[in-house]
Amino acid sequence: MSTIRPSYMKARFVSAGVLHITLAIVSLAMVLPFTWMVLTSLKSINEVGESNWLPAVPQWGNYKEVFQTSTVQADGAYLGRWYCNSLFVAAWTTFLQVLSSAMAAYSFARLRWPGRDKVFFLYLSTLMLPGLVMMIPSYQIMIELSWIDSFVGLVVPSAFGAFGVFLLRQFMLTIPASLDEAAEIDGAGKWRIFWDIILPLSRPGLITLTIFTFMGSYHSFFWPLVMLKSAHKYTLPIGLLYFDSSRGQETHLLMAAVTLSVAPLILLFVILQKYLVKGIQLGAVKG
Amino acid sequence: MAFTLIPMLFSMALAFSNWDIKLHNQFKAKPIEFVGFENFVRLFSQPDFARFLGNTLFFMVGIPIGIALSLSSAVLLSQDLYSGGSRKTFGALIAGAMLITCCLMLTLVGLGSSAMTLLIGGLFCLMLLGGVVGGKTVYRTLFYLPSFTSGVAVFILWKRMYDSQNGPINTALTPLLDGLTGVVLAFPARLFSAAMWICLGLMMLVLLLGLIRMRLSWRDGEAGSLSVLLSAAVLLVPFFIAAQWSFTSDQSPLLLFGAVALCVWQLTVARRNGADFPSTAFNGLGSAMLTSTLLVSAQMMILGIAPVFGQLPRMASDGLVPPNWLSDYHWAKPALMIMSLWGAVGSQSMLLYIAALGNVPKELHEAADIEGATRFQRFWHVTWPQLAPTTFFIVVMGVIGGLQGGFEMARTMTGGGPAGATTTLSYFIFVEGFETGRLGYSSAVAWTLFAMVVVVTIFNLRVGSRYVND
Repeated sequence: MSTIRPSYMKARFVSAGVLHITLAIVSLAMVLPFTWMVLTSLKSINEVGESNWLPAVPQWGNYKEVFQTSTVQADGAYLGRWYCNSLFVAAWTTFLQVLSSAMAAYSFARLRWPGRDKVFFLYLSTLMLPGLVMMIPSYQIMIELSWIDSFVGLVVPSAFGAFGVFLLRQFMLTIPASLDEAAEIDGAGKWRIFWDIILPLSRPGLITLTIFTFMGSYHSFFWPLVMLKSAHKYTLPIGLLYFDSSRGQETHLLMAAVTLSVAPLILLFVILQKYLVKGIQLGAVKG
Repeated sequence: MAFTLIPMLFSMALAFSNWDIKLHNQFKAKPIEFVGFENFVRLFSQPDFARFLGNTLFFMVGIPIGIALSLSSAVLLSQDLYSGGSRKTFGALIAGAMLITCCLMLTLVGLGSSAMTLLIGGLFCLMLLGGVVGGKTVYRTLFYLPSFTSGVAVFILWKRMYDSQNGPINTALTPLLDGLTGVVLAFPARLFSAAMWICLGLMMLVLLLGLIRMRLSWRDGEAGSLSVLLSAAVLLVPFFIAAQWSFTSDQSPLLLFGAVALCVWQLTVARRNGADFPSTAFNGLGSAMLTSTLLVSAQMMILGIAPVFGQLPRMASDGLVPPNWLSDYHWAKPALMIMSLWGAVGSQSMLLYIAALGNVPKELHEAADIEGATRFQRFWHVTWPQLAPTTFFIVVMGVIGGLQGGFEMARTMTGGGPAGATTTLSYFIFVEGFETGRLGYSSAVAWTLFAMVVVVTIFNLRVGSRYVND
């Protein structure tokens, strides 16, 4: 390093500065809409139309109002309720999907049974079927089962997914088979191996899948939009849409609602960032 | 075992139930009737499908631009930030001092007119401070924020921002456009038509570049005759669009003539240089297509800018006003596109590219440095080919997603809106299936879309696997 000429060092310093400034400008562009969102959510209704972004006095009450009060006369149509609905649905979906995927993946990766790889291929090919094609027949099935406007109808169809199976299978294939064999010699059954050896070892994969499924369920829009009819059962996205159409004039309240629905995501991302970035990169490379 | 079979059977049952619907087109409140191909005939004979397919394709033009954006941000984020030790402290000191100044002034000035500038300046310093202290992770988080949060909430946020009266975008644009009006009126109108012609000339230049590139790869045996011809045809598409477009149709004879002349010229050069081409007809189709698609995106952008120059003086004399964005037929699509590009800067593609950039062997870069390659050459000849599998993956997924996309935006922001300007195929399927209730017709559209997705994906995979393995 000592042989580097000072002018070169200087050039590097300048280029690092330019890089930082460029990155900061792009980051600013990414953050500005969110800034506007938060600042608007703190305004009072008289300030909403003003071009100044800053509220004179922050109205923290907006959040309280959005979270608690009934937005219209309909029973239970408020953000807190939608929050709980979303969390409930997402938690169940995630739990069931991770469980079913782990079991299916274990079967595809470890157990030997006739036609296994063919069935796996078939399973995988359901990934190609676009949701749009499935939507109408699925809806018909839901009518038959009378699951329309119920959480069961939201959770059950999304409790099984080929993507999760695929991701976890790829992950389990990397676990050395000698571990299973050792356990088998010690007298462990298939279930024992699954619970005590495979599951703990595929923890990173499970975490990734959990985050993905949770996010997917939290964001899911099409299916809940079709399925849910009564306002107190709405999940957050549908609730926001409803809020937008019923009280869209009150931009400050709408923005408070939007902030509240985005905030947990940002928090989640900042906390779980390491797993997420890894998971996205892993999922794509394997896929 | 039983636990694996049940979900499988369930999903298979779902998959097979499609067939029923497809075979028995089912109308609401009527017994199931078999109407054969009637739905498909209707689909192709009515203009709706073609129009909404056109909208979908328009949004898909954003895919290559989005890839370019996410690649650039990945490259930026992969640079060495040289932030260590004393430099870090130094940078942090500067940014921190600026931040404190902004905050102080903000409190002193209060909520006056300059508060906005200070606010944005302060935010900028905050970003810089975060970046200097936290390094790449902070920038990456900030870049990835839009696509991580993307969903109904963010669409509603943008819908408010695009609001024509109170939205922050138009509030910010109004003074800018007023200033621009003054500037435009100060210059002679000739200048602007000249600028328009320069743009059209640039379009020609891009075409020429593409053709030369095709010719060279043909000569070097990298691309077969048919793939070259196909890509050249793709390159000509913007010219035909320009000929159809009302803003540029005056200039179209000259444009078309020029384009044809360029093609003929390059063809004669190719003929003269030697007629024996070693490759088979479809060789190298992938890379040729990729190049031409990238160039076409550039051409389309230039084509979009050109008439703006042509029309500016006339528009300025009436006074420039910001558009109504989502409620304006011509602006709704670009508005949605801008929003998606905002998300595309730091999308999943960026994360994939960052990972791929990290995997490029250092030796290759060193070798290129020893050979005396410039930074751009090093990127284009060393890094970019190494990124091919990633790019391929992103393109395939992007095309699949793009063909089926646009539903959430249309539903939350525009309602398919103004006069169907933002209705994509997926939204069309939704409206037909769940609002109009024509389930049969809707599933006919869905299956057509699915067939298109399959065909395009197979094409991508066949072409791409060659390209990646090259």
